[in-house]
Amino acid sequence: MMLADIISLWNDSWPAGLTMLVLAVGFALVLLIASIKLKVEVDPKIEQTYMALPKIDCGACGFAGCSSYAKAVVANPDLIGKCAPGGAAASAKIAEILSLTASGSTVPAKPIVHCNAHKADKTFFAEYDGIPTCTSANALSNVQACKFGCMGFGDCVAVCKFDAIHIVDGLATVDYEKCTGCTACAKACPREIIEMVPFTNDTMMTVACRSAESGKNTKSFCKVGCIGCGLCTKQNEAFAVSNNLARLDYAKYQPGGAFDAAMKKCPTKIIVYRGKTEPRI
Amino acid sequence: MDKIYILLMAFISIVIVNNLVFTKFLGICPYLGVSGRIDMAFGMGMAVTFVVTLAGTLTWLIDHLVLMRYSLEVTRYICYILVIADAVQLVEMYLRRFFPPLYESFGIFLPLITTNCAILGLCLFINLWGIDNFAEAVVLSFGAGIGFTLAICIMAGIRENLKIADVPEPLRGAPITLITAGILTLAFMGFAGMIK
Repeated sequence: MMLADIISLWNDSWPAGLTMLVLAVGFALVLLIASIKLKVEVDPKIEQTYMALPKIDCGACGFAGCSSYAKAVVANPDLIGKCAPGGAAASAKIAEILSLTASGSTVPAKPIVHCNAHKADKTFFAEYDGIPTCTSANALSNVQACKFGCMGFGDCVAVCKFDAIHIVDGLATVDYEKCTGCTACAKACPREIIEMVPFTNDTMMTVACRSAESGKNTKSFCKVGCIGCGLCTKQNEAFAVSNNLARLDYAKYQPGGAFDAAMKKCPTKIIVYRGKTEPRI
Repeated sequence: MDKIYILLMAFISIVIVNNLVFTKFLGICPYLGVSGRIDMAFGMGMAVTFVVTLAGTLTWLIDHLVLMRYSLEVTRYICYILVIADAVQLVEMYLRRFFPPLYESFGIFLPLITTNCAILGLCLFINLWGIDNFAEAVVLSFGAGIGFTLAICIMAGIRENLKIADVPEPLRGAPITLITAGILTLAFMGFAGMIK
């Protein structure tokens, strides 16, 4: 009885199985022929280069994403070292894959916001009630008195993929623990306050102001603006004043005495530390 | 003349009156997923058109020449899925070889055509409607693809304009897209019953 059942089941089902088998083999053959005829040669270096990249598609290199950068860098090794989040490690790996020697800066560049004006420090001529982005607010230049300072609408916050920049009390503030140095915020800032600076130390000193107004105007517009007095230049020659604005030559910066002295002398206290830990003087 | 008339009616029926997306709500995944930009939507529509024409024709042939002749209708679903997966693989290889930018812009959606229910749906509908004329099956398959392209392109056109529209905050993104899809479907309901 059992055997008869199994035989009848077999008799019922074998045509279906055979049909499926024939169809499957037929389609497999078609695909096999197609895969040979339509083969695409992919350079294995591109795949390896892609694996060496951080794969976060931040766009700091200027390409659409990591895969398109990998393709471009294999085709043109001059583009090596454009990957900001990957940094020197990624460059070295890519160089190894392409059997080249990587050279150039190993110091990571991080953004510094060249403004230190919080809400209470700023002066406004009017209340801005338009589209809440820096780019549109910047078109009405006479709302915020200082034409060089942070407007605090957060265009930089919107473009940051790493949650590493925030508006704190009206001022864009970088979280250096999270920052990868992808340059997105520096590109987004319509006033170009955010600058990529090579961080030779964990904390960098900076003149947190961009105002090119005369000292008198700056003082009336903002409580913490650089008035171009030049006291810092007398303490340390790494500082220079031009256009009513002190600038620090970051390449010459060393942590320590002569710089801290300049910091203490600054009458408006706009020479500040920026970095992972910000020591207070 | 009569034959051409029937084919024409079948084509108009599947494109407008019995559009798979609007009246059967099939193929919603790419319809909502790839309709962000009109050029990509058109590319997706063309890919689906190619696959559905190939799949519809092949499944009709297999159905009538093999499955029905040997009363193996139980294997219909598996056979259809096999045909569709094969056709998608072919399209993928072809695009990768000859249109790499299009291939890259599709991303995950190209392999997803395999599971696009509009395609399996059409193959089964052809069977359900009892189409026993090969030419009509081909026209219906091609028309289904054109209908899908029409739907996804209309959707993409609307969504491109929605991007600059002042949509209330809670409705932004997916909700307004679904509302748009619903209203669009209502509009196409107006054709219901004109043919067949």
